Amino acid sequence: MRTKLKSILTVALAAAIIFGFAIWGTLKKDDAQSLSERRALATLPKISISSVLSGKFMSEYEQYKLDQFPLRDAFRTLKAVNTYYVFSQRDNNGIYIVDGIASKMDYPLNGASIERAAKRFGYVYDTYLKPNGIKAYLSLVPDKNYFMADANGYLGIDYDKLKDMLTADMAYAEYIDIFGTLSIEDYYKTDLHWRQERVLDTAKALAEGMGAEIAGDYTAKKADADFYGIYYAQSALPLKSDALYYMEGGSIADYRVYDYESGKYVGVYDMDALNGRDPYEMFLHGSKSVLTIENPNSKSGRSLIMLRDSFASSIAPLLAEGFDRVTLVDIRYIAPELLGRIVDFTQYTDALFLYGTGVINNSETIK
Amino acid sequence: MLFSSAAFLYSFLPLTMAVYFIMSRRLKNAALLLMSLIFYAWGEPRYAILMLLSITQGYIFARLIGKSRGTKKAKAYLIISLVLSLGMLGVFKYANFFVKSFAAVFSLNAAALNIALPIGISFYTFQLISYVIDVYRADVEPQRDYVAFAAYISMFPQLIAGPIVRYSDIEAELTARTYGADKAAYGAKRFIIGLGKKVLIANVLAELVNAFKASGEKSTLFYWIYAAAYMLHVYFDFSGYSDMAIGLGSIFGFTFPENFNYPYIAASITEFWRRWHMSLSSWFRDYVYIPLGGSRVKKPRALMNIAIVWMLTGLWHGADWNFVMWGIMFAVLLIAEKLVLLGFMQKHRAIGHAYTLLVVMLCFIMFDASSVGEGFAAIAALFSRGSAANTEALYYLKSYAVPLTVAAFGATPLPKRIKAWLDSTRAGGAVMTVAEPVALAALLCLCTAYLIDGSFNPFLYFRF
Repeated sequence: MRTKLKSILTVALAAAIIFGFAIWGTLKKDDAQSLSERRALATLPKISISSVLSGKFMSEYEQYKLDQFPLRDAFRTLKAVNTYYVFSQRDNNGIYIVDGIASKMDYPLNGASIERAAKRFGYVYDTYLKPNGIKAYLSLVPDKNYFMADANGYLGIDYDKLKDMLTADMAYAEYIDIFGTLSIEDYYKTDLHWRQERVLDTAKALAEGMGAEIAGDYTAKKADADFYGIYYAQSALPLKSDALYYMEGGSIADYRVYDYESGKYVGVYDMDALNGRDPYEMFLHGSKSVLTIENPNSKSGRSLIMLRDSFASSIAPLLAEGFDRVTLVDIRYIAPELLGRIVDFTQYTDALFLYGTGVINNSETIK
Repeated sequence: MLFSSAAFLYSFLPLTMAVYFIMSRRLKNAALLLMSLIFYAWGEPRYAILMLLSITQGYIFARLIGKSRGTKKAKAYLIISLVLSLGMLGVFKYANFFVKSFAAVFSLNAAALNIALPIGISFYTFQLISYVIDVYRADVEPQRDYVAFAAYISMFPQLIAGPIVRYSDIEAELTARTYGADKAAYGAKRFIIGLGKKVLIANVLAELVNAFKASGEKSTLFYWIYAAAYMLHVYFDFSGYSDMAIGLGSIFGFTFPENFNYPYIAASITEFWRRWHMSLSSWFRDYVYIPLGGSRVKKPRALMNIAIVWMLTGLWHGADWNFVMWGIMFAVLLIAEKLVLLGFMQKHRAIGHAYTLLVVMLCFIMFDASSVGEGFAAIAALFSRGSAANTEALYYLKSYAVPLTVAAFGATPLPKRIKAWLDSTRAGGAVMTVAEPVALAALLCLCTAYLIDGSFNPFLYFRF
C-alpha cells in the first residue's frame, strides 16, 4: 500500500512540475527584459528551413526557454542559496559577499590583456597626444577586490605587478597613484563602481597630480531611487540596496555637456536613468563614446582629454572644476582610429588615462 | 538535445510523453521513432539521415541473414553490414585521426579533413553491429517491423550516450510492454537522480576542473585536487546520464541494462571494469574478446587479446592518441593483474581499493589530456617537488570541499544502504512514503534552478 502511494506521489509531483512549468511557460507572456540582469531577454525565434538546418533555431530556442522560464529570478536565487549555504562554496559565478558587500573575483593577472591595453593606449598617444604636445597622465582605479580579496581569503591579482607592467609600457605617461585615497566604503555595496560623494579626495589627488586645482565645494544630494547594482543581479541573492547620492554645487550647475553621439547638449546628471536598467548611468548618461564637459567658470586655460571607463562618469564632473573643458573618450565604444574625426586634439593641454584595474585585466572590450 | 536542458525537460519531454501515451499501443513505436528523430535532429539535423541509412542497412541485412542462415550468403551479408557500419564509423569518427597520424609519421603536409562527428554514432553503430551479429548467430530473430527496429536503434533515451542496449535486452518489450505507476515512479526517480548527479555534481566539479586548467600557477596540491575532481566528474557525468536513460526507458515501458555499479569501490582494475560502463565492457567481451579466443588460448595470445580489446576500447572513447594510451594503460594493468597482482589484491582488499583509486585517477588524467605528452606531464606533476600548495589551490579546495565530499560519498553504496535501512524501519518507511517523492520534487526544482542560472552544461560522453 505504502509502495503504491509512494509511486503515485512520485509520479504526480514529477508530472506536476514538468507539465506545470511546461504549460505555464507556454501560456506566460514573454518578458522583454530582465531588470535584474540589465539585458534584453531572448524572444521566441522564428522557424524556417534554413534556421532549422543550420541549428540556429534550436540554439535560439534553448536560450529562449532559459530566458523566459517562469519564476526565473526565484530559480536563480535558489541556485545561489544552494551554492553559498548548502555547498558552502566561496563564490557563485565568481561573485562573493563579505559583510553585505558583493564583489566579483578577477583572477588571474592577465599579462596579455595588460599588454593589449597598453598597445591601444600607445596608439592614442602616438597618433593624437604626442603630435599635439599633450602631457599624458595615467591613473588606475582599484576594484573592490583590492580591499576585500586577500583580507577574506579570496583570489585577487597582484595589483603592484599590474601597475608595474602597465607603467613600464606607458613610460610617456606620468602615473598618479590614487589607491591610498580609497577604501572599500567608497564603493557601492551592490555595484562595482565608486560612490561619487566619497571620491572627492580622489578627484583632488588626480587634479593635484596634473597640477590643477579643484575647490570641492559640493554638497551630496540623495537620489530618489534604490540602487541595486550589477553585483546584486549577478549574485541573485536578496542583498540590501545602496543609497545613491550625487554632488551639487561648485560649477556643476553651470557645466554644459555636449554629447557627440546625439549632437546635443545634455545635463550632467540624467535623472531618467534612476528609473532605468542601471541607475549609475545617471552620471554623464552612462555608456557614451565621446562627451565634453565645458566649464564656463574655469580660468585655468587648460583642457583635459580623459581616456576612460565608467569610473570616470562620476568623478569627471568633480575634476572638471579645474579645467576649461574635459572631454571623455571611451575607446570601448569608439575605435581609436576614428577619434581624430571627432575630437580636435589641438585644443587640449593634458590627457588622463583613467581606468579600472578590471578593464585593464580584461581589455578585450577595448577597441 | 541535452537531457539537462530546459528545452528538453519543459518542452520536449512533456510533449513526447503526451504524444506517446495518447497513442494506441499499435502506434506507440511509431510515436517513439518520430520523437526520437526529432530529438536527434534537434542537435544534428543533417546526420539524422545518416542514422536512418545505418538503421536501414542493419534492418535489410539482418532480414537477409535471417533468410539465408547456414549458407555462405549469410556470412557475406554479415560482412557487408559490418563493413558498412564500421566504414561509417571509420569515416566520420576516425578519418581525421588517421590522416593526421599518417601525416605526422611520414612528415607530410596533409590538409585536415574536418569531418564533424555525428552525435552518438559510436553508440548506435555498436547496437547495430551487435544486432546483426546476434541475428547471424541465431541468438535473436530478425525484426520484421521496420518501425519497431528503427525505434529500437534511435530510441532517444539511450541514443546518444548509452547504455548500449542490445536488441536481445528489449526484444520482447518492443512488441509488448507494460506500464504502471510503479514503473513510471521508478523511471521518474532514476531520471531525477541522474539529473541531480549530472547537474549538481558533475557540472559543479567541471567548474573546478576548468578553474585548474585556466590557472597559470598549478601547484602539486592543485594537480591532486584536479585529478580527484576529474575522476568524480567523469563518474557522475556518465553514470548520471545512464541513470537518466534507464529512468526514461522505464517511463516508456523499457528495461535498459545497468551501466554502472559503484566502480570506485572496486579493489582491482579487473573488478573496476566489471562495474564501469558495463554495457560497453560486455559488448567488447562478447563481440571482440571471445571471438578472438578470449582466455581459452595460449597465454601470449590471451594477453594479446586483452591488449587488442583495450586499444580498441581506448579508440572507441576518442579518436586520439591519448585515448589509445588510456586503453593501453588499462591493458597493462589488467595483464599485470592477471599474471601477478590479482591474487594479492583479493587477499589485501584495503590495498586493492587504494591501488585501484590511484591508478584509475592516473588513467583518467590521460583520458582528459589533449596529448599523450601532456597526460604524462600532468601525472608526473602529481609527484613533483615543485610548489606544494598555493593560495589558488587552497581557495578552490575550500570552495569545493562540500561538493567533493558529497561526490565521494555519493560514489559509494552508502546512500543507498542508508535509504534501504530507513525503508526497512516502520517509522522510516512511513516517513519515506512522503519524504522521498517530496525530496525528488525538490531535487528536480534545484536542478532546474542550476540549469536556468548556468550556461555550462555540455555532456562529456556526447563526443563518443
